[in-house]
Amino acid sequence: MSSAHLTQVRKWVFQSPPAEWAIQQLRELLIGALRLGPVPQHVAFVMDGNRRYARNHQIETVEGHNLGFEALARILEVCYKSGVKVVTIYAFSIENFKRSRYEVDALMDMAKVKLSQLAQHGDLLDRYGASIRILGQRELVKPDVLDAIDRAVALTSGNDRAILNVCFPYTSRDEITTAIRGTVADYSKPFKPALKRPFSETHITRNIRSRQLSIVSEEPLALRSTSDTASSVDADADDSASASTTPNPSSSTSVTNKNPFEDNSNPPDFEPSKSAVSNYPDPETITSETLSDHMSTAGTPPLDLLVRTSGVERLSDFMLWQCHQDTSIVFLECLWPEFDLWQFLPVLVEWQWQRKKALEREALSVKAQKRDVKLQ
Amino acid sequence: MVGLREVSAFHHDVLPDGRPLTVQEREDILRPYLPRPPRTSSLAKAPASTARRTSTKPHRRKPMRDFLKNQLHVLVYTAIHTLFSIYVRLRRACHAIIDRVFAILYYHHRTPELIKKDVKGLSRLPQHLSVILDFNEDGHNGSGLEDLVNDVCEIAAWSASAGIPILSIYERTGVLKNYIPQTHRSIFRTFQAYFGRHKPTLSLRAPHLPSFSPPSSPSAGSTPGHLSILLLSADDGRNTLVDLTKTLAEMSQRGKISPADISPELIDAEISESVMGEPDLLILFGPDVELKGYPPWQIRLTEIFHVQDNTSVGYQVFLRALHRFAKAQMRLGR
Repeated sequence: MSSAHLTQVRKWVFQSPPAEWAIQQLRELLIGALRLGPVPQHVAFVMDGNRRYARNHQIETVEGHNLGFEALARILEVCYKSGVKVVTIYAFSIENFKRSRYEVDALMDMAKVKLSQLAQHGDLLDRYGASIRILGQRELVKPDVLDAIDRAVALTSGNDRAILNVCFPYTSRDEITTAIRGTVADYSKPFKPALKRPFSETHITRNIRSRQLSIVSEEPLALRSTSDTASSVDADADDSASASTTPNPSSSTSVTNKNPFEDNSNPPDFEPSKSAVSNYPDPETITSETLSDHMSTAGTPPLDLLVRTSGVERLSDFMLWQCHQDTSIVFLECLWPEFDLWQFLPVLVEWQWQRKKALEREALSVKAQKRDVKLQ
Repeated sequence: MVGLREVSAFHHDVLPDGRPLTVQEREDILRPYLPRPPRTSSLAKAPASTARRTSTKPHRRKPMRDFLKNQLHVLVYTAIHTLFSIYVRLRRACHAIIDRVFAILYYHHRTPELIKKDVKGLSRLPQHLSVILDFNEDGHNGSGLEDLVNDVCEIAAWSASAGIPILSIYERTGVLKNYIPQTHRSIFRTFQAYFGRHKPTLSLRAPHLPSFSPPSSPSAGSTPGHLSILLLSADDGRNTLVDLTKTLAEMSQRGKISPADISPELIDAEISESVMGEPDLLILFGPDVELKGYPPWQIRLTEIFHVQDNTSVGYQVFLRALHRFAKAQMRLGR
């Protein structure tokens, strides 16, 4: 709504149908041109500045949030048309609950109204092929808003061309804590016992030992040690099975001949030398990928670009885990309701330019390496 | 851009004459601005949606038109990128000139009194300052390390003069952690050059390594303050959180804690004790904001400062960062 700045005459000129058509064509052209270069796969936006905008233009704060929602719709359209796969937006922080009750209620109402409107226009969303996901702590939200959220999520869950992550209500530290909790809970589940087979291992070992006592050889020692450990572990699992099947010793000689090797080839799935924690997964196998997979943004490409408007140069607990490696963080001076293609375009072009330079440098270094290998 | 009447109708869900908007009317307002339905989905849902999509024609293939459109896009793309290259070079030249002017205007002459005068007008100073530095490994035999240590000494001297008690230096490879005594000596020498006799005391440490502060005889006069420097590397970022997760997993397997006991406060306490607390201000001396593996947990409310197209460590960047910090408002969600 940059028309709020313009005088009446300019407003009339820009909103006339020919000018509108021309601007629309120009936008399509620019977005289509940018698609040819590298496009960020995952973009995050911090929608900051609604209240300041409302104060500057002497309108109500709630109206400022409405205009912010429109700016969001415009930017989402630009992003999806350019080929961005995942867009993450910071809609509401857990810290924002500290705001005045009136404002928090108004924001929740707006969320409910917009989401139920969304649910009514199902096939419009399908045109963009975007599915909505809500990240954050659901327990802090009122049940009627939760209903609207769940309906919107269920409606769009079939789309797979693009994803919209709405962080509502969200704090990055909370997300990291949840990921750690999830990982620890996963690693605290003991392994399930082995499947019950009809043969009882204790019975088999008794059979072997009784027959091999007559034949003197070194093998029973090795067999006995492994079968001892095997039987001690599977004792509780197979106690019920041992009573059920009592195969005839004479007829099962052929079977028992094969079974010791089968027994050895299925070792127990933990080292008997460890203590009671041995039937849990090894915590040494936890890596940062494990934690990344437990984050709410699991399964999405890594964050490429983070944009924050309104001139504030902080991260404010947003995507701390995801953006601290190679993400390009851009801080813009404009306020969120004014954010449009004309402010986003320079950011996108600069990102493309930097990415192209990085790819060129990589290609050069790969060529240099190949040349060195050939020379050697 | 949408007409004014439609905008207000869409906002308030009510037509100008008072009737509430129905679903169909809302769709009619939006329809001209939506993209065409993709071919696959329109084929799959043909029977149900043909009634609704009467206004959109099926997308007939027009190869010539597509080819021309594609060429036009290529032309515009190359034009945009050429113009952008020119613009970026101009911008870099401008910024280089401005930086030189600032550097001359605000040269510190290695006197702490000048630096103190520069920061006197600021309403608040960061208690914990953090800096990200780059180690240039391609420098010929060791000059990269020398430059890095020089930068560290300079920044330490400026922070001590401005009265900032804690300074943490992040450098991705962590090469400085292998040279702690030498770095300490260099910083000590720089302090002597800056302060003369009344140097502030210095302690240099890295997480999980013992602190290095050789015993120095306290001066008879006033104690000019203490600067503690913390060296960080990429290991102190994600890997510390992963280590914490491993420890918590082991404790949970032994039954000492349950997963529900893990709360942000617990993790915060552990991490700030083992690595560092939260910095107030983070200064980047590179041209863009890229965190390069900086510890993610502590940077939650940190003010991040950088100068576009800046490539070197300069005092004027430091001063501008402090000025910016003093003006920043912390709203904490409200």
